[in-house]
Amino acid sequence: MQLSTSEISELIKSRIKNFSATSEARTQGTVVSVTDGIVRVHGLSNVMSGEMIEFPGNTFGLALNLERDSVGAVVLGDYEHITEGDICKCTGKILEVPVGPELLGRVVDALGVPIDGKGPVKTKLTDKIEKVAPGVIDRQSVSEPVQTGLKSVDAMVPIGRGQRELIIGDRQTGKTAVAVDAIINQKGQNMKCVYVAIGQKASTIMNVVKKLEEYGAMEYTTVVSASASDSAALQFLAPYAGCTMGEYYRDRGEDALIVYDDLTKQAIAYRQISLLLRRPPGREAYPGDVFYIHSRLLERAARVNAKYVEKFTKGKVKGKTGSLTALPVIETAAGDVSAFVPTNVISITDGQIFLESDLFNAGIRPAINAGISVSRVGGAAQTKVIKKLGGGVRLALAQYRELAAFAQFASDLDEATRKQLDRGRMFTELMKQAQYAPLSVSNMAVTLLAANSGHFDNVPTDKVLKFESGLHGFMSSKYKTVMDGIEKTLVLTEDSEKEVVKAIEDFKATNTY
Amino acid sequence: MAEISTIARPYAVAVFSFANESKSLSTWSDALHLLSEVVKNEDIKSIIEDSKVLDSDRENLILNVCKDKLNENGINFVKILVENKRLLILPEIRVFFEKLKAQAEGSIEAELIMAEQPSKKTVDDLVKSLEKKFNKKIEAKVVIDTNIIGGTKIIVGDSVIDASVRAQLDNLAFTLKA
Repeated sequence: MQLSTSEISELIKSRIKNFSATSEARTQGTVVSVTDGIVRVHGLSNVMSGEMIEFPGNTFGLALNLERDSVGAVVLGDYEHITEGDICKCTGKILEVPVGPELLGRVVDALGVPIDGKGPVKTKLTDKIEKVAPGVIDRQSVSEPVQTGLKSVDAMVPIGRGQRELIIGDRQTGKTAVAVDAIINQKGQNMKCVYVAIGQKASTIMNVVKKLEEYGAMEYTTVVSASASDSAALQFLAPYAGCTMGEYYRDRGEDALIVYDDLTKQAIAYRQISLLLRRPPGREAYPGDVFYIHSRLLERAARVNAKYVEKFTKGKVKGKTGSLTALPVIETAAGDVSAFVPTNVISITDGQIFLESDLFNAGIRPAINAGISVSRVGGAAQTKVIKKLGGGVRLALAQYRELAAFAQFASDLDEATRKQLDRGRMFTELMKQAQYAPLSVSNMAVTLLAANSGHFDNVPTDKVLKFESGLHGFMSSKYKTVMDGIEKTLVLTEDSEKEVVKAIEDFKATNTY
Repeated sequence: MAEISTIARPYAVAVFSFANESKSLSTWSDALHLLSEVVKNEDIKSIIEDSKVLDSDRENLILNVCKDKLNENGINFVKILVENKRLLILPEIRVFFEKLKAQAEGSIEAELIMAEQPSKKTVDDLVKSLEKKFNKKIEAKVVIDTNIIGGTKIIVGDSVIDASVRAQLDNLAFTLKA
């Protein structure tokens, strides 16, 4: 027989001390039926919607349907031991999960229970998983950037702290890769991260955790996992649980980033629960409130003002704004963005990063479609230097696409058109970036400056990326002070611009790429 | 499919309001008791469920069994149930009817679960305080259950007041395990 960690004399002593033996008054009900994780209960006249119900064997359920003669509840976890006639009790509590910095570096399930085998999580606080988002008075507009370290994202679809930016695309287009790269790049950026894995293979989640550990990102990250083998109820709840963990930082004047990977699976889990609860199916068999499950979740990602933070912390934190940035992921089928859930989430979020299989297969990775990817609020938050230099990228790519389609029919092109085509080809090549290799702001600025000033123009397309990495190496070894200056101030003064251009010319002269 | 209680409710409400108007609550209570016991009988149940039996035969069967114990209205009620093919929900109708009757009479049933036979004074005291709490007349039923070890457990409808030693031990176990 093994001794469990909770069986320490001191612990038991304190618990005995705090135990009050009072009689309890409660409402109880009788289980009428158990089917596929859904329990129908007769009785429980005072139960609230969303209240936890205690079943025998220390199992809990969530009351979702309050009907005239019965209550429909979904069991959180195993339900095989619950039988008809079992007595269940109201708890008077809404579902809560542990929150706090103690969760960083840990992998937990949808209820906040650690599943990484690193022992119990010693959090001091718990918080409700369903909360109302901050109101308009408590908010502040998005003005600070989230650096994802991806050239194409930071230059073309910038994300601000407190923004909701959707990552959408077919399977195998690198959606998770973009999100994981964004998390890896938050090292030293004063950002806490939450990665919520919904309905994924346990092995995939394991790989993500391994990569995050490898790049030192687990120090500031919590992974909430509801894998494909977990019950639909847990898959449905995981995003809300993760959001509550992220809100802990937002409400205390810190910044947090949350990735929901992916919300399509959450909608599917919710559809399962709803159909089993016999709620009427609507379009694509989703229940009527499938829009609301996503809107209420994503509305909680926000930037709150200093007054809100001060009020929340009762004056302990002053003059600091807090933010929760959300990167929801949606998987489309055969590029169909007009399906129900994708259109819903597109309309809720503040922009989307659209990933395409064709681009991915053509070797353009991240496979971002620059034409239909947008960021509705990120422009205000973009770093000054990137804003100044990255403005031309989008335009060049847009013109290139138009010309490329046109040029297919033309036999001989004039000089200007050919130049524009070459430039577009160069920019497309330049926007490629390897996985797990986020760029710093200064490196990104140098790349963009070199491209804008035409230094890439006579570099062969297949050598563009080699030229870029060589240039970065050259800059960090020979012009460290200039680079550090850009990194620190995030602006490109006229002097430093001249210096960088000179450096690029120097590098080009070495001809070492 | 709607739940049985949902189907039984309109019948019970109709019977109750008719009985209430004609001031014959206890007559109807007896009639429903009799009818529900009749349809619970396995042989009768199998005949009711047999699709080959004609509705008129079903009706005659029930009315013959109950014979002169039903008044004219009672007979009508059986006819309606036969016509709607709802004879088998009679036990549910009865439960609902009794609930409505108890509500109208301002009384509720309470189950007092104790480990050993309590004195009459204890029961009276408990009933008095329960009547004060629920603001209704309490019809107490004492149940002896040694499993609760000591103390009392009171069940009124679906609310439970648990002051038994067993519940406190369970709570202690939960606190220590948590």
